[in-house]
Amino acid sequence: MSAPIQANDATPKTLTEVYRPVTRRTFLKGTAAAMAGMAGLVAALKPLLALARGELTLDTLLQKHYRELTPPELERILKSLEAKCKKEYGVRPTIRAPQPLEGVQFAYALNLGRCVGCRKCAHACLKENNQSRDSADDIEMSYIRVLELEKGEINLETSTPYYNPEQVPQPGKYYMPVQCHQCRESPCTKVCPVQATWQELDGVITVDYNWCIGCRYCMAACPYDARRFNYHKPKLTPEAINRNQSYLSNRIRPKGVVEKCTFCLHRTREGKYPACLEVCPTGARVFGNLLDPDSEINYILKNKRVYILKEDVGTHPRFYYFFEK
Amino acid sequence: MVLLAAVLVLLGVRAADHPNEAVSPVLNLSTGPATNIVAQLPVVARPQPARPEVGLPGDAHLDRTPPRQTKGLDLVKLGWSYNCMECHKMLPARWHYDRPMVEHEAIKLEHGNNRFCLNCHHATNRNAFADYDGSEIAEADVVRLCAKCHGTIYRDWQAGVHGRRNGFWDTAKGPQTRLRCIQCHDPHQPKFQSMKPLAPLTYPERAYGRIDPSPGADEKPAQHP
Repeated sequence: MSAPIQANDATPKTLTEVYRPVTRRTFLKGTAAAMAGMAGLVAALKPLLALARGELTLDTLLQKHYRELTPPELERILKSLEAKCKKEYGVRPTIRAPQPLEGVQFAYALNLGRCVGCRKCAHACLKENNQSRDSADDIEMSYIRVLELEKGEINLETSTPYYNPEQVPQPGKYYMPVQCHQCRESPCTKVCPVQATWQELDGVITVDYNWCIGCRYCMAACPYDARRFNYHKPKLTPEAINRNQSYLSNRIRPKGVVEKCTFCLHRTREGKYPACLEVCPTGARVFGNLLDPDSEINYILKNKRVYILKEDVGTHPRFYYFFEK
Repeated sequence: MVLLAAVLVLLGVRAADHPNEAVSPVLNLSTGPATNIVAQLPVVARPQPARPEVGLPGDAHLDRTPPRQTKGLDLVKLGWSYNCMECHKMLPARWHYDRPMVEHEAIKLEHGNNRFCLNCHHATNRNAFADYDGSEIAEADVVRLCAKCHGTIYRDWQAGVHGRRNGFWDTAKGPQTRLRCIQCHDPHQPKFQSMKPLAPLTYPERAYGRIDPSPGADEKPAQHP
């Protein structure tokens, strides 16, 4: 038995065609490709230079995603972050990683009938959360924007965060502080290409600053302007630094990452009130555990008519506004 | 006796105008004009009326000052006790005063329809407040006095929704303090006082020169630095 021999219709190649000699053209092509490859390699190894300079620790460079860290790994990273802060800012903080509490879902309510627009919350946020600031009064990176609105409507287009009268409240105006709403259907976490931002079990949306690549998709996705970007390395004087820090909330951020309100999780996960509530002179802010039927926030939801900002975008926020004497 | 008390009351009012003046320990009522007498009043080292702690001591970086800061009564600063009956056992109260008061000059009663001192203050014990039936509400229970009229707000306050709470939301983990009515509202002028806002957000220089919030400013070309 013999297989039928197929006719080979390919034309035989000449020796020159198979073993192409190095011409000027191929040499230049090859050199260009090699140069590009070397440049890429150097760019890829650039973090090693930062490592050599001490700007980056080996732990941070080789770090896994926050949610994949084992407790000893996390402990080591927290220690190295503390050392980094001491080196760069001259202050040694205590950085912890408090975990979500069992049976706790945070929610916030804000009484627009009471808020006078004094901006104490925005400034307290700055003192608590170690945001970058050019001067003590620079609240650009504060997680809270207090908007001044015309009475009679809730129109964000005519609102302004730049108001500065002698006295507040001004007649005919009311004031609406806006911060992260910790949405249940959060657009920001859906658009993150590297999953550096996610919703924790207690409802707080957090950012792993060591994992964020700074693409700012989340800022574009957020309907509440709740996220801030570190355009430069945070400017902080040693005395302005709050030493009580946590990995996911108020530790000093590196350059080029996004940060946001976390309901002060380093405080609230220990049972304390967030900083913005602590300073509110009118008591317009109400914070508590949604799953506790006797909590203050549940009293609001049961007894007051609450308003959800931009309800039509379907984000299901954990932040409610209400009007009450 | 009544005259002496009235003189002392007047002295107290005047002393408030010169709080920082050095005073000698000799009290001489018989010589010199009134200002000199004030200058001779004894220095009294007395604590301010006790104010309960607000919030947690660890939160020193957060300004938790209650909105209403009482200055302390002038007479108390001069060494009198906080006992209103020191004077008022001699000065009985009337229901209605159709002239401006000369004693408590600083008090302007702007509490809506509530225009009479004895609506709140007890007629015979000035250190206490009056309940519906004429019985006394202790000074420390001032919340109960306000609750006589402001029942719905009292209910909200009890639920922790009106007024501010400080400290721990989870009371199993730590203490919680809450502000009482008169730490925010002056009972004689209960409207919440307007205040100076803290520094505003400044428009970022990197975007363009500055923002002009005046009407029609949008039409102007942006000023580039």
